[in-house]
Amino acid sequence: MALRDIKPTRSELINLKKRIALSERGYKILKMKRDGLILEFFKVLEQAKDTRGDLNERYESAQAMMAVANTVEGAIGVKAAAFSVQEVPDIKLASKNIMGVVVPEIESSKVRKGLNERGYGILGTTSVIDETALSFEELVESIIRSAEIETTMKKLLDEIESTKRRVNALEFKVIPELTEARDFIKMRLDEMEREELFRLKKIKARNV
Amino acid sequence: MAEVRAGPVPYIYVCTRMRVRKAKLLPREEYLRMLNMGLSEITRFIEETQYKKEIDELATSFHGIDLIEIALSWNLAKEYQNIQKITPGTLKDLTRAYLRKWDIQNVLTVLRGKLHGERSGKIREVLIPAGELDKHFLDRLIEEPTPERIIEALKGKGVYPLLSRSFDGGVKEEFLPRVENELYKQFYAELISMAMSGIKGGRQFMDYITLDIDIKNISNMFRFRADQSGEEMMSAVIPGGTISPQQIQRLMYIRDRNEFIDALVPLVKVRVLRELLEKLREEKSIREIEIDLIKVQLAEMESMSKLHPFSIHPILAYLEMKKYEIINLRALARGKESKLTPDRIREYLVI
Repeated sequence: MALRDIKPTRSELINLKKRIALSERGYKILKMKRDGLILEFFKVLEQAKDTRGDLNERYESAQAMMAVANTVEGAIGVKAAAFSVQEVPDIKLASKNIMGVVVPEIESSKVRKGLNERGYGILGTTSVIDETALSFEELVESIIRSAEIETTMKKLLDEIESTKRRVNALEFKVIPELTEARDFIKMRLDEMEREELFRLKKIKARNV
Repeated sequence: MAEVRAGPVPYIYVCTRMRVRKAKLLPREEYLRMLNMGLSEITRFIEETQYKKEIDELATSFHGIDLIEIALSWNLAKEYQNIQKITPGTLKDLTRAYLRKWDIQNVLTVLRGKLHGERSGKIREVLIPAGELDKHFLDRLIEEPTPERIIEALKGKGVYPLLSRSFDGGVKEEFLPRVENELYKQFYAELISMAMSGIKGGRQFMDYITLDIDIKNISNMFRFRADQSGEEMMSAVIPGGTISPQQIQRLMYIRDRNEFIDALVPLVKVRVLRELLEKLREEKSIREIEIDLIKVQLAEMESMSKLHPFSIHPILAYLEMKKYEIINLRALARGKESKLTPDRIREYLVI
C-alpha cells in the first residue's frame, strides 16, 4: 500500500487500527494453527517412517519370495498359480479432520487369506506358492496402510506450507504496512493539528 | 526292433532301459558343482547335455532363462511321451494312468488362461504336454473361444465328467480350486481302482499310490498347520493312503507339534518316513519339510524298484527322478538369475 494513496483522516485511522487488531489476532491464531499442524505432522511422520520401513521390508521380502517361487516352481508354475487370483481388495475411502485439514481414512477388505481362499488348488501346488502369496498379501496390506498415512502427511505438509505463507505475509507484509500507514496518518494528523494551532496563533496575534 | 509280445522279456527290456536312463541322470556332485557356476556357465552346461536338441529347436522363439525353462519342460514332455511308447502291455496302461496327472495341470492352466483372457501363445508356453493329452490336442484346446467350449472339447477324456458336472451353469473362477482338488482326488481314486482291478502288476502299483498319497497328505498337513488353518484341510485330503481321512481330521486338531508327531508316527507304515517324522520334531520351514518328504519318497521308490526290478516301480522311479532333475536344473538357472546365494538355492534342490 503506497503511502501517497492513504487519506490521512481520522476515520481512516480508526479503520486502520481495526484492521491492525484483526490482522494481529489472525496472525496469532494462524501461528498457533501452524505450530499445531507441525506437532501433528511430526506425530504422523513417526508413523510414516515406521510404515515406510515396513513397506520397504515387505517389498524386499515379497521380491525375494517371488525369486524363490520362480526358482522352485519355475515361471510356469508361478504364472499358473497367478491365474487363480481373481479378487482385488475392496478399498473404502472415508475422511477425517485434523485441525481443519481433511485427510483420508482408508478401509480395505481383508487382504490376507487362508490356504483355501486363495483361489489355487492345494493338491497342485507347493508351500512356496503359499509363502509367496502370503508375502504379497502382507505387501498389499502395508501399501494400503502407507497410502493412508503418507497422504495424511502430504496434506498436512501442504496445509503447513500455506499456513506458513499466510503467517509470514501477515508478519512481514500486512501488519508492517498497516502499522506504517497508521503511523503516517497519525503523523499527518498531528502535523495538521500543529498547523491549525499555528494558524490560530497567527490570527490571534494579528487581531491583537 | 523285433517286438516280443509275450513272457517277461518286454518287461525286462523296458525296466533295464529305465535303469540305464536313470543312471544317466545328473548326479549330486554335478549339482554341487553347478551351484558355484554363473548363469552363463549353467546355460552352457545344460546345452551340452541331453537338452541340446530342445534348446536348438526353441532358440528362435525364446531366449535367456525362458528358453532354458521351456526347453527343460519340452524335454520332460518328450521323454514322458517316449516312455509311454516303449512301455509294453499293462505297464503302458499303468504308466499312462500315472501320467494323467499332467493332464489335470494342463487343462486347468488352459481354463484359467482363458478365463483371464490370456493370449493363446502365453498359455501354450506354460503347458507341459507330458500326459495323455498331447501337444496337438492341447493346441486345439487353447484355440477354443470359451472355457465352456474347452470343456466340450474334452468329451471322452478322463477329466470331462467331473468338469462338465462342476461347471454345468458355466465356468466360474471361484469354483476352480475346489474342482482342482476334486480332479486330483478323482485321479488318485482312478489309480486305486485300476490297481485293485486285478491288473497284472497292480499290487506293486498300489504300493506306489499309497506312498504317494501318504506323502501328499502328510505334506499338506504340515502346510495347513503352518497356515494355522488345520480344520479346513479336509477338502484337500486324498483318500486311499495308509492314514484315513478321519484319522487326518483328528490329527489336524492337535496343536502341539510333538503331540502331533507322536500321534502321526504310529499311523505310518514306511520305516524311512517314520524316521523322518521323528526328525521333524524340531522347527523346520515348511519347504524344508516338503523337500525332506520328497527325498524320502524318491528313496522309497528306489528301494521298491530294487525289490521289484521288473515291475512298474523302475519306470515310476525314473519318471519321478527325471521330473526332479528338471526341477533342480530350473531352480539352479532361475535361482542364479534371481541372484540367490548358492546356499539359498541349495535349500530348494532335491538332491
